[in-house]
Amino acid sequence: IQAPHQLEKLKPTTETYGFCDMCFWRCGIKVRSRDGRVVKIDGNPEHPHNYGIVCAKGNAGPMWAYDPDRLKYPMRRVGKRGEGKWERISWDEALDEVAAGLARVKEQYGPQALTVIGHGTWMKPYTRLGRAFGSPNICSPAFGFCCGPRLVANDLVAGRTLTGNETLDLENCRYFLMLGRNITEALHNGEVRGWMDAVAEGAKSVYVDPRFNITASKSQEWLPIRPLSDHALLLALIHVVIEEQLYDQAFVAEYTTGLDELRQRVQPYTPEWAEGETEIPADTIRRIAREMAEAAPRALVYSPRRVTRTTNQLGTLLAIAQLNALLGVWDRYGGIFTPQTFDIPEPDLPPYEYPRADNLPEEWVDEEGRPLRADGAGVDGAFPLAWGDDRGLANQLWRVMATEEPYPIKAFIAAGGNGFLSGPDYELVHKAIENLEFFVACDVMPNEMNRYADILLPEASYLERYDDLQTGGQREGYVALRSPAMEPLHESRDAWTICKQIAERLDLGQYFPHESVADLVDERLRKVGLSREELERKGVAKIPADPAVNFPREHGRRSEFPTPSGKLELVPSRLKAMGYEEALDYRPQVAREPDEFHLAFGRTGVHTHTRTQNNPWLTEFMAENRLWVHPDAAAERGIEDGDPLRVTDRKGRSETLRAKVTRRIRKDTVFMVHGFGGFDPRRQQAYGRGGATSNLVSNDVDPYLGSAALDRGLVRVEKASGGEA
Amino acid sequence: MSEKRYVMLADVTRCINCKACVVACRAEWDTPLGHSRDWVAEVEDTDDNGMPVLDFFPGRCQHCENAPCVSACPTGAAWQRDDGIVLVDDPLCSGCELCVPACPYDARWLNPETGTISKCTFCQPRVDEGLQPACVETCVGGALHFGDANDPDSEVSKLLAEKEWVQLTTEAVPASTNHYYYTGGKPLPKEVLPRPVQQSIQEKAISDVVNPTAKIGLGAMVATFAGAGLKKLIDRRNELSGDERPAEHGREEQ
Repeated sequence: IQAPHQLEKLKPTTETYGFCDMCFWRCGIKVRSRDGRVVKIDGNPEHPHNYGIVCAKGNAGPMWAYDPDRLKYPMRRVGKRGEGKWERISWDEALDEVAAGLARVKEQYGPQALTVIGHGTWMKPYTRLGRAFGSPNICSPAFGFCCGPRLVANDLVAGRTLTGNETLDLENCRYFLMLGRNITEALHNGEVRGWMDAVAEGAKSVYVDPRFNITASKSQEWLPIRPLSDHALLLALIHVVIEEQLYDQAFVAEYTTGLDELRQRVQPYTPEWAEGETEIPADTIRRIAREMAEAAPRALVYSPRRVTRTTNQLGTLLAIAQLNALLGVWDRYGGIFTPQTFDIPEPDLPPYEYPRADNLPEEWVDEEGRPLRADGAGVDGAFPLAWGDDRGLANQLWRVMATEEPYPIKAFIAAGGNGFLSGPDYELVHKAIENLEFFVACDVMPNEMNRYADILLPEASYLERYDDLQTGGQREGYVALRSPAMEPLHESRDAWTICKQIAERLDLGQYFPHESVADLVDERLRKVGLSREELERKGVAKIPADPAVNFPREHGRRSEFPTPSGKLELVPSRLKAMGYEEALDYRPQVAREPDEFHLAFGRTGVHTHTRTQNNPWLTEFMAENRLWVHPDAAAERGIEDGDPLRVTDRKGRSETLRAKVTRRIRKDTVFMVHGFGGFDPRRQQAYGRGGATSNLVSNDVDPYLGSAALDRGLVRVEKASGGEA
Repeated sequence: MSEKRYVMLADVTRCINCKACVVACRAEWDTPLGHSRDWVAEVEDTDDNGMPVLDFFPGRCQHCENAPCVSACPTGAAWQRDDGIVLVDDPLCSGCELCVPACPYDARWLNPETGTISKCTFCQPRVDEGLQPACVETCVGGALHFGDANDPDSEVSKLLAEKEWVQLTTEAVPASTNHYYYTGGKPLPKEVLPRPVQQSIQEKAISDVVNPTAKIGLGAMVATFAGAGLKKLIDRRNELSGDERPAEHGREEQ
């Protein structure tokens, strides 16, 4: 007689809403906890970044909080910088020392001698602290190392940007020209889903990249372009679109300026010329131009996100903006939409005071004698096109710290980030840190950079704290709340509390008037008639999507382009005013010796930059990176799949990692996933795993923007002796 | 007799091998590192022009009708609900692992923490509360769908009618599964097809003689089989793509 079977029951959990911090797309999440322990992270179905889906990284969030290698207590360095010797101290002692260290630097060098570089949602209070302190040198590395050129180029042409969460009507698009936009492995949930929906419905995707990645595998066509020649392809496409009058003529006549000038500028860039640069056949280039025009306005020239690749990345991104303008995709279904935003005023604070900096050279102070940014972002005579405020150029700041030019920076607050594994030059970062008089690092996890700090402060993770509101714009406007799903572990504290307590010790308490970040959130929500309790029920409040606002030209309304002319400027007036028109022209990149490879690097869907290589739920899939080598190139060097390899650049820097021999890459190019090659033994999973791209990439600069040109690296590859990678 | 027939659909053309399903499953069911109830198999090939081709097959227990694991189980712990979900009754499971080699999809494994067999349950505890399986809910590409194939209005019924879905079956393994795949018309690669399974004499004896009758009180008999050193799980299922090297298991315990 068959006994009745027992059925497993779902164990009860409590749910808390938040938004993810495992990458920078910041999906809405619903965190399930049991007995105070976070057990599962689901997507918030209401949140416009992800509509309920969560990637592997987001799902692995609990292991960010429960990582046994976390920074647990405030610590003071006792050995030499970087030696890794620490003593545990109390929060009061730590905060006193931070305040004293910052005050010392301010007294001797002025407030501009502080830089704050941060990465992550916990940056905001540190930005406020740095501003209150009086420093202009607040920086978010994403601008100079990642998407800065895209922001600037679209702003110059359209007076609009694609924002950090792309405002693209992906699901209705019918033709994607994907320029190294590895959308499925850079993996931002809502973006992937939109693209995948369109492709599954038959939209064409043409994927342009020296490497055949997962995005290429989902595309109908892969064009293995010669590395660093995207600009040539784009110029030839513009050439064909203008010569064959494939552009949206009514739109161009009504909404753009500069067509004739652009026509003349691209005149030499024929498809035949571009074939020589790109190794993409001229006929293919012509065909793609015609196909795109046929699909327009439901077509997108899809910009990559990390666009710090060549020394003319500005020109490359301008060309993408020009093509999208010629195709008339702005404010049309399947093109670029106008987002709605949920505007919530910031709390009322006293204005920041930037005291006169009498010790600086006159070109580095403004009319009122206040210091200008040392990295030159937004500074005439330096990099006026680069955005200042809290963005700036981290690559330039490292140089400033190392050289003290144009003026000394002697104190550094690191709010997350990893200057070693995310940058292009270990030697420079090392020299910069050595040159500091005070370095405090605040983070959840140890890393190669914060190993050099004088004081180390343990941050609460995104699952353990309230944070300032997330406001943003997609088709819907929205505001999202992050609430704690668990108590902060160890002695970690949230960023707002840390910054308030430092500020109070520096007599800057008036800039942190709220008792806690929850009080700050309450004040902001009250201003728009919302409450925290309301947001805690669904995690998000929204302004509904409005097709007439998102796609005005589909609804008899006009598009608006807040440029100086009020139109899309195909040859931007601000670029001309600065005398930078040559950025529109092609500039060949690095020439490879026959035994060298171009070094390409990029993302995988299971890791975020340098941050997740210690997470066992993710290293399960990828614990180390490999060097992708074409079978022919491998055979010439006697390399077999799995062999340990030494990769060496022209400066003699080298990394060792194992070979992945695959036809999915050009013969003249090798590829590595970014973020591996950790050398901080405190991260036990990541330590010594794979090779670091940051120790091999180029440290060149885009001369117009000052942003990094990371992909100009050339390397030689050989089998490593000894057999250990 | 249940009215329901639960099925899982995996649209291979939409799978991006992002592993969200695998991590979601691990978190939901607290599975130990080194083991997983679901996986994504990566199959790399070249086309006639020498260009690369890459496909991903999300996999898990296929919830076969007449499941070979159920007949291999000497204690009656392996069983199938009327709605098609193949389950393990944990208190009845002795951990003898006879069912492990019986599964042509390598979907069953001994959980070292509980000493019992673990496998995909189609998230039965979630489904019974009206929720979607964790892997389906989190699927980034929109590749996974789950529902009642007997409900003509369900999403899965509509999808099944819209497209041509295939099952991972062969002549040697004709099991009728409740898991379907859409490949956009491409033939299934051999890498994802079921492994032919030969019943051992012991298993056959159990399934033919013991299983249909009393299913409880067999602990002693099972212990005998287990003690005789029955075949352990040999090939760990290929849920880890051959891409970059995965962690060596054991390192995590440090």
